[in-house]
Amino acid sequence: MTDRVGIIGIGQSNFRSRRDDASYPDLVREAVVPAMLDAGLDFDAIDAVVYSLSPDAMVGIGNAERLGVDAVGGRNKRFLRINTGGATGISSVTAAYYHIASGVCDVVLTAGADKVGECGDSQTVLNKIWDPTYERALPLGTINMLAMSAVRYMQRYGMTEEDMAYVTVKNRRQAALNPRAHLRKMVTIDDVMDSRVISWPIKLMDCCPQSTGGAAMVLASEQFIRDNNLDAVWITGVACRAETYWMGDRMGNNPTAEHADAYALGRSFAQSYRMAGITDPAKQVHIAELYAPFSNTEYHAIDAAGLVANFGDSIKRLRDGEFELGGRVPVNPSGGTLCTNAIAVTAMARVAETALQVWGRAGAHQVDGARVGIASGNGGDHQIFGTMVIEA
Amino acid sequence: MELLGRQEVWNITYDHALGETASYFFTQIRDNGKIFGRRCAKSNKVLVPPRAFSDETLLPTTEWVEVGPGGRVEAFTFVYEQFNNLPPPPYAFGYVLLDGADTALGGYFKGVDLTNPREAAEALAIGTRVVTKFAEQRKGDVLDFWFEVA
Amino acid sequence: MAYRVRPAVVGCAIRPAITERTRSLEEIIYDISQAALADAGLTIEDIDGIVVGCNDQFDGRAISVMMASGPTGGVDRDILSTPSSSEHAFILGALRVASGQFRTQLVVAWSPTEASSLSEAQRLGADPYFHRALPLDELSSHALQASALSHVWPNAWIFAETVAVKNRRHAALAWPDPPARPRAGPARWPLTERLTTQPVTGAVAMVLAGQPFVRERAFEAPAWLRGMGWATEAAFLGDRDLTTAPALKEAARQAYAEAGIADPTAAFDVVEITDATGYAELIAYDALGLASRAEIAPRMAEGWFARGGRLPVNLSGGVIAFNPVFCTGMIRIAEIANQVRGRAGPHQSPGVRLGLAQAGSGFAMQYQSAIVLGADA
Repeated sequence: MTDRVGIIGIGQSNFRSRRDDASYPDLVREAVVPAMLDAGLDFDAIDAVVYSLSPDAMVGIGNAERLGVDAVGGRNKRFLRINTGGATGISSVTAAYYHIASGVCDVVLTAGADKVGECGDSQTVLNKIWDPTYERALPLGTINMLAMSAVRYMQRYGMTEEDMAYVTVKNRRQAALNPRAHLRKMVTIDDVMDSRVISWPIKLMDCCPQSTGGAAMVLASEQFIRDNNLDAVWITGVACRAETYWMGDRMGNNPTAEHADAYALGRSFAQSYRMAGITDPAKQVHIAELYAPFSNTEYHAIDAAGLVANFGDSIKRLRDGEFELGGRVPVNPSGGTLCTNAIAVTAMARVAETALQVWGRAGAHQVDGARVGIASGNGGDHQIFGTMVIEA
Repeated sequence: MELLGRQEVWNITYDHALGETASYFFTQIRDNGKIFGRRCAKSNKVLVPPRAFSDETLLPTTEWVEVGPGGRVEAFTFVYEQFNNLPPPPYAFGYVLLDGADTALGGYFKGVDLTNPREAAEALAIGTRVVTKFAEQRKGDVLDFWFEVA
Repeated sequence: MAYRVRPAVVGCAIRPAITERTRSLEEIIYDISQAALADAGLTIEDIDGIVVGCNDQFDGRAISVMMASGPTGGVDRDILSTPSSSEHAFILGALRVASGQFRTQLVVAWSPTEASSLSEAQRLGADPYFHRALPLDELSSHALQASALSHVWPNAWIFAETVAVKNRRHAALAWPDPPARPRAGPARWPLTERLTTQPVTGAVAMVLAGQPFVRERAFEAPAWLRGMGWATEAAFLGDRDLTTAPALKEAARQAYAEAGIADPTAAFDVVEITDATGYAELIAYDALGLASRAEIAPRMAEGWFARGGRLPVNLSGGVIAFNPVFCTGMIRIAEIANQVRGRAGPHQSPGVRLGLAQAGSGFAMQYQSAIVLGADA
């Protein structure tokens, strides 16, 4: 088979709250250089750049990708930018995939960075994603939007606040093994339960941090990889799906998408699995990096990824240890979005971490023997989802 | 090595055209204290808030349907944290399925004791009956109404 | 580097100036998406994916693709967004069709004028490190480019003004009943107010399909993608030689190589150029290989680029006719597609077999794209 798309290089920052020593383009460069070194290529070899950047307001520069042109070696090269909110990182890798799958490009760099810690407070910016006609006057933000999802998930499947705390405890323990992660301090169930309520039932320790840092990946065509004897892992499934923007339509009478669940995420995974030939994800997937910026959302992500038989089964199975390092299908062994969230690249980090896992390069948080991994990203008001299957 | 910083503020005002559908919705609230949804003939769903077209069927909606003032809680949350340019906490808001509607409308919940969120969560449990209250002076705005436990 | 599957444009809808405020932005996007589908004779069920080109700061939304997902038909569908420019949405859509994994793509772009000041919104694009304190909006960047060109070519202003007159003449023919009367732009030295038009609200949408689908549905006159190129200049204006457009040269090189074009002056029947100002059109002639700086005067004197001439440019009237800032790039592509499909209306040029669209966006045309569309697959 000579028409697959592979990943040949990966770079990530060590994510932190603030980086007063680095401008925004510096952070992009910081991830691009290791990715290029990892791929063993010069910038001359890059046919196109896909720039990963979500709301401009987070970095405080309109069309900030223009400033990143030099950081990605983009002068006089094919260049475009993607923004699908929190899913931007995985949508960017997806766009890069299509540059190659089209037959037009052989080698594509995708990169970006975020300085969420610098923008004052991200919820103020994120309030502006809602439509000014009906909902802008309400104090909507991503935290309370997903708190409402939690409330419905509690009612439907019996999730408790303690169940949510289990996710945080698990992910922090895993992040402690990942030098790239932002929040690496382990916590106990009591620590989480005692942390202050932000938007009930979400408490401070149920929330992702505001992270600063960059990520970059180099993709190449199978032909290029073989011709140059490169080491690679393969993107065998890729898809994207949106559900309705209206949260109130995900409630009420017979909604197509239920706000407690992650309808379009499930649809996107189904499409990626079809493409990759995966018929039983619960058995065939070895590792999952599922975008979940709040502890409760990891449950519906696991459900939507088909890693359990029924929606809601994820709660008990997580407590039973199935989704942690050493368990049946470790979920977010990197610590996930809950421990590191540089919005513009957080979904790229999911792909990067999955790739590192099936490549056997994940270091202390390696899942032994992982060869088939899945990654997901969520964007907007839990609306736009991207998914990938990556294999050794 | 001295590291410098720079403060910048984004400040642009937008004058968004609401279109005929939203304008009707808000003038009904302002002038008559009534809430209307819009029906999609194909799905037969009454969409609230109303839209000119259904994003599911992609067909224009066809008729106005008065909904509420009673309804049921579909989702809620209680915010205890202050965010820049958002209201001072604590406050409760969420979504209500008004009688006659098929989709839920966002709004504040008032009159709920938020001292203990777990107790408040029981008071507003999904399915709880609520009623829409209207401000005396109304502007034609989402903040002209809110929901209280019936 | 051949396309796995050759894409074609099978539907277009262009609304270059929307002046009524009866429809909200969401409704405008719905209207244009439905219009493009209708033009293609397709329904949303035939669409496998969507790419939108929209700008958060223009729209007043922090993630503008969210609101667009409903009206474009993105619910339960695959939708991506390229806020870098409207032409990038076309490009990504074309790449997706070319992969063979999508039968079709709907690409949509829009440019509202609801911001109190588009200039203010654009100024936010200047970096806060060195340039934010300057009055650097897109008009200023075009003025800087005009000033640079005037320095090396003191008579450039004559030709820039002639280009504007040409495009206005084309506009009068193309739009016998125009949706809006263009208002002259402010002067900003060396730009006179005759050289730009005030921004208006606009929207555009196109339907792309791959060869197998085109055959299956027997589309009568698709506009086949023969070549596509795109590139970016450096970030800081100060790093660039503003008298030239190396990114456009590179984009043209890519597109011409794909389309097998050796002599662009002989190959194309029509051209659309993003004439942000007449100076931008002059720079584009050179970078596209249509006329070097020295050749511009004699070729313009011979009427090359006017209607009826050897290489008509901007029969649509270009940006001087209507300036829906963010979607001017995709509109150029749609105009050429319509010329090839025989659907350009009053400004149709007879017998168009091959056309070129150049799209430029950002400060002094930082992003440059060249799209070649033809009647043959």
